[in-house]
Amino acid sequence: MNQGMNILKKGDIFLVIIVIAAALTALAFYNWSRDKHKEGSSAIVKQGDVIVHRINLNEIKEPYTFEIEGDYRLVVEVSNGSIRVLEADCPDRLCVKSGWLRYKGDIAVCLPNKTMIKLEGVNDSVDGISY
Amino acid sequence: MGTKNSIIYSIFVIVLIYTLSGCSNTDRLNREQPFERNDFIMGTIVSQRIYGKNAEKAAVKVVERLKEIEESMTVNAPGGEINKLNENSGKSKVILSSDSYHVLKTGVKYSVLTDGAFDVTIGPLVKLWGIYSEHPRIPAQAEIERVKELVDYRDIIFNEANRGVMLKKAGQMADLGGIAKGFGGDEAIRIYRDWGIKSAYVNLGGNIVALGNKPDGSKWRVGIQDPRGLQGAYIAIIPVADKTVVTSGDYERYFEEGGVRYHHILDPRSGYPARTKLISSTIIADKSIDADALSTSVFVMGLDKGMEFVEGIKGVEALFVDENRKIYVTDGLRKKVVFKGDESGYEYIEKR
Amino acid sequence: MTPLMEFRIKGLKRLVLLSILLAQALVLSIIESWIPVPVPVPGVKLGLANIIILITIIFLGFKDAVFVVVLRTVLTSIYAGGPVLFMFSAAGGLLSTTVMAVLYNRASRIFGLIGISIAGALFHNAGQLLVAMIVMEDTAVFYFMPVLAVSAVIMGSFTGLIVSYLSQKLERISIIRKD
Repeated sequence: MNQGMNILKKGDIFLVIIVIAAALTALAFYNWSRDKHKEGSSAIVKQGDVIVHRINLNEIKEPYTFEIEGDYRLVVEVSNGSIRVLEADCPDRLCVKSGWLRYKGDIAVCLPNKTMIKLEGVNDSVDGISY
Repeated sequence: MGTKNSIIYSIFVIVLIYTLSGCSNTDRLNREQPFERNDFIMGTIVSQRIYGKNAEKAAVKVVERLKEIEESMTVNAPGGEINKLNENSGKSKVILSSDSYHVLKTGVKYSVLTDGAFDVTIGPLVKLWGIYSEHPRIPAQAEIERVKELVDYRDIIFNEANRGVMLKKAGQMADLGGIAKGFGGDEAIRIYRDWGIKSAYVNLGGNIVALGNKPDGSKWRVGIQDPRGLQGAYIAIIPVADKTVVTSGDYERYFEEGGVRYHHILDPRSGYPARTKLISSTIIADKSIDADALSTSVFVMGLDKGMEFVEGIKGVEALFVDENRKIYVTDGLRKKVVFKGDESGYEYIEKR
Repeated sequence: MTPLMEFRIKGLKRLVLLSILLAQALVLSIIESWIPVPVPVPGVKLGLANIIILITIIFLGFKDAVFVVVLRTVLTSIYAGGPVLFMFSAAGGLLSTTVMAVLYNRASRIFGLIGISIAGALFHNAGQLLVAMIVMEDTAVFYFMPVLAVSAVIMGSFTGLIVSYLSQKLERISIIRKD
């Protein structure tokens, strides 16, 4: 048996190339679209499929914190233009490690608590008012 | 090697298509300017925004059509078929034009559907409260009880064959104020379509009707008036295409006495302004006449009944605001509506 | 071309082997939870337990691999995590095991163990994101996919390499050889 030949096959190399190329394209696209909407963001805090908070980060004058209860407890800190998970008692604390979220598309997720914070660009323009 | 080359080739082609389509898109964006026109018709400002060829001609036609509708359906100015119908109440039959007949019929349809929460014969009550007059007032209980007797949509007698209509009791009055604007909105869209227009928007005093998407392919963004904010301030944005958005609220027309707000949306069953803890109700639908009737209906029904009622109608969505500044929406609207942040002073209730 | 497929074991020997593999998968999972991950993206991890799953597919087959995956997920979620994490890792684990078994049984002419391992890691992450997407009714979580894909390639190559050498050595041990 030719061991050297068996370790890396044609398909393997192809797979690696395609996956890396797709990932880089996606990352490039993401960075490009994110720079376009740099300023102005609103934070959406979801627990499961329910939006529990909607915060316009541009209108924050005094930084504050609030808690999200669930299977675990998260402390979220809000300040002008940015938001982060300050503390969490979940096992991996990935949401805390995500740090400050600032730009449209930034997200922090705590899977054990089914909690997600994502930033959306604020588009305040309307074509008309229904009254 | 063949596969590798074809992959590189496909990527190149895809990138090329993207770049080219990007260019043509921005070109169109820069080129197309809408035709805009504002008029005062049906007691309100009508704003039109029309894209494409024939925009100006269509706008003129819409103005003419709306004036025609106003003339035949008004109860606030002399003349017109509905006034004639009301003057002949308890006396004789009046032959209506197909417009008025259709709108009156639709009014009765919603009166039946809502079991009288909406009543197209509300005229005598509206007149009693003087809502559209210079000096609105709180009528005496006895007056209300007496006039309430005249409000009953079942007293309209229709003759399909010759469009003859009669109000059974003397003093009864049909009032199309709740739906005539909606009908006008639908007519405007019909005229735009007749002129080959693909993208247009008309605002009839807060009733918004959108035809197609905007030329750049995005949806029309309709703001929902903040019921306790300045005029033009909004609490949510609903993106729409080929839809109408109609809002009823206690802030549109009201007077205060003894700390109580007496607004213009009367409950035909009590004879008083509807008191259901709602301060605003918005309907999103395909037909503006339906949305117009429904926004008033659900406001009178209140949150629970109104929500249940709307969820039971296919293709109709709703947004409610109650006096505690809580916002509720139908399931179908949940994913579409865009809210302002917690700081707006309104709380969005995702699930009930 | 697929000599490894011949190593299918039955009976008591299989049960003992299965238990050993499960124990090893558990130990690797626990060791892995001690190692901090440098990127704050849910799902990025070493995937050491994947070594054992792939070995199980090779020597005992798909069904036994599913057995190991399910038990491992149940036991690790008792150790740490809870019901929600169980759901996520079960989805990821089952999807990845299925993909690896299909590739190993049907496409080992095209894919070597490294490719299979990368695909397994990739689908492990995709499965987790899919569950996250359903639970939160939000496609925004797929924003993590590029980072997860790159980490899947790196970690998949690493575990695949280990499996390649490990399986060659195991073939020569009489304990694991078919009777």
